[in-house]
Amino acid sequence: MNVIPCSIQTLKGLYDISGVEVGQHLYWQIGGLQIHAQVLITSWVVIAILLGSVIIAVRNPQTIPTDGQNFFEYVLEFIQDLSKTQIGEGYGPWVPFIGTMFLFIFVSNWSGALLPWKIIKLPHGELAAPTNDINTTVALALPTSVAYFYAGLSKKGLGYFGKYIQPTPILLPINILEDFTKPLSLSFRLFGNILADELVVVVLVSLVPSVVPIPVMFLGLFTSGIQALIFATLAAAYIGESMEGHH
Amino acid sequence: MAITVMASSSATTTHFLRRCSQNPSRAIPKSIRAQIARDEKPLLIRRLTTLLKPSAAAAAVAAAIAATPMPALAEQIEKAALFDFNLTLPAIALEFLLLMVALDKIYFTPLGKFMYDRDAAIRAQLGDVKDTSGEVKQLEEQAAAVMKAARAEISAALNKMKKETTAELEQKLAEGKKKVEEELAEALAALENEREEALKALDSQIKLLSDEIVSKVLPSA
Repeated sequence: MNVIPCSIQTLKGLYDISGVEVGQHLYWQIGGLQIHAQVLITSWVVIAILLGSVIIAVRNPQTIPTDGQNFFEYVLEFIQDLSKTQIGEGYGPWVPFIGTMFLFIFVSNWSGALLPWKIIKLPHGELAAPTNDINTTVALALPTSVAYFYAGLSKKGLGYFGKYIQPTPILLPINILEDFTKPLSLSFRLFGNILADELVVVVLVSLVPSVVPIPVMFLGLFTSGIQALIFATLAAAYIGESMEGHH
Repeated sequence: MAITVMASSSATTTHFLRRCSQNPSRAIPKSIRAQIARDEKPLLIRRLTTLLKPSAAAAAVAAAIAATPMPALAEQIEKAALFDFNLTLPAIALEFLLLMVALDKIYFTPLGKFMYDRDAAIRAQLGDVKDTSGEVKQLEEQAAAVMKAARAEISAALNKMKKETTAELEQKLAEGKKKVEEELAEALAALENEREEALKALDSQIKLLSDEIVSKVLPSA
């Protein structure tokens, strides 16, 4: 008699044990609209980390750079280099966009892996990297679409839309489709990678609570960095693509 | 990180175990619990009756599936909303844009400008260094000329000094010689005088002596 209820209970137990609160959110109501509070809180922390470290390091630049300034100069050169490679001529104005994209995603991803969010208990859901919420990744992908449209239109005017019938008008549907797949792939790639990484770590920790998850955690750090780089590089590539003259 | 993750997972585990041990009755549907309460018969008989009434058993199972923690689990699974878009999206987008403006103001633009200026300054200084190599050569030539002139001047001065010193020395030598000769002549003259005087004195004495000898030899006649 008790077999079936117990099996359900066991199922629920396994679900609980795995500790994976996938898609669990702490909701706040703002003007009748819901908002994922845990994402908002962690994104504030990420922004605070970014702004704080930048202010401390670059407040008073020295001709011979000190440690922190040296690091941020290196980061800036890295971003400039990335933008230059992808966008080419006239990359200057896009450096803040690409740079903020890279830094925000990078710090978000690493905060999910390095900061002990789980010490802070929420009534519902849990704190994690802001980028493991689809809202965040879409919120980063849509400005990218807007950015490359803006880049193309400001560079070439309405002639920008000529690219839709390049190289032949037959490709028009595919070219239009591309404008939808670009933000979609950007957002889902980042979301999927970060969520999957956190899930793998959590599940592995619940199964083998020592040593074994450590390589996966390092892999997670690596993946997080790579994802930030990919997002920023692709955003820059899209902008560069819409700015270059079509052949 | 590992510690926190493990901590959280162990917390949920204990939570689950506690719940399981605290109210196991919760797992059993109300209808069955009621039935058990009503049925005071021994276990064997109860089993038998259940076996004899398959339809009732099936109904009980169905009730169990329908009634029990299933709703809670279903609710939770339903709430596992991976793809619910809401106000978070525009909020994060807005945050991103603000962060971009802020970082541009305090990081990208100022530090980029600073680095560009520094590069320009370094490049200018390097250019200056390359240009001054001609100047350095000219300066070296100038220095060599100055050295040559100085050397010539010094040797001239040396020669002059040598000449002067020699002249002076010769003069002094000549003076010394002259003085010595004068003194010598004087001394010779003085000696001659003395000799003549001595001779004179001798002459007079000779006269006296001869007179004496004469007076002594010759008896006073």
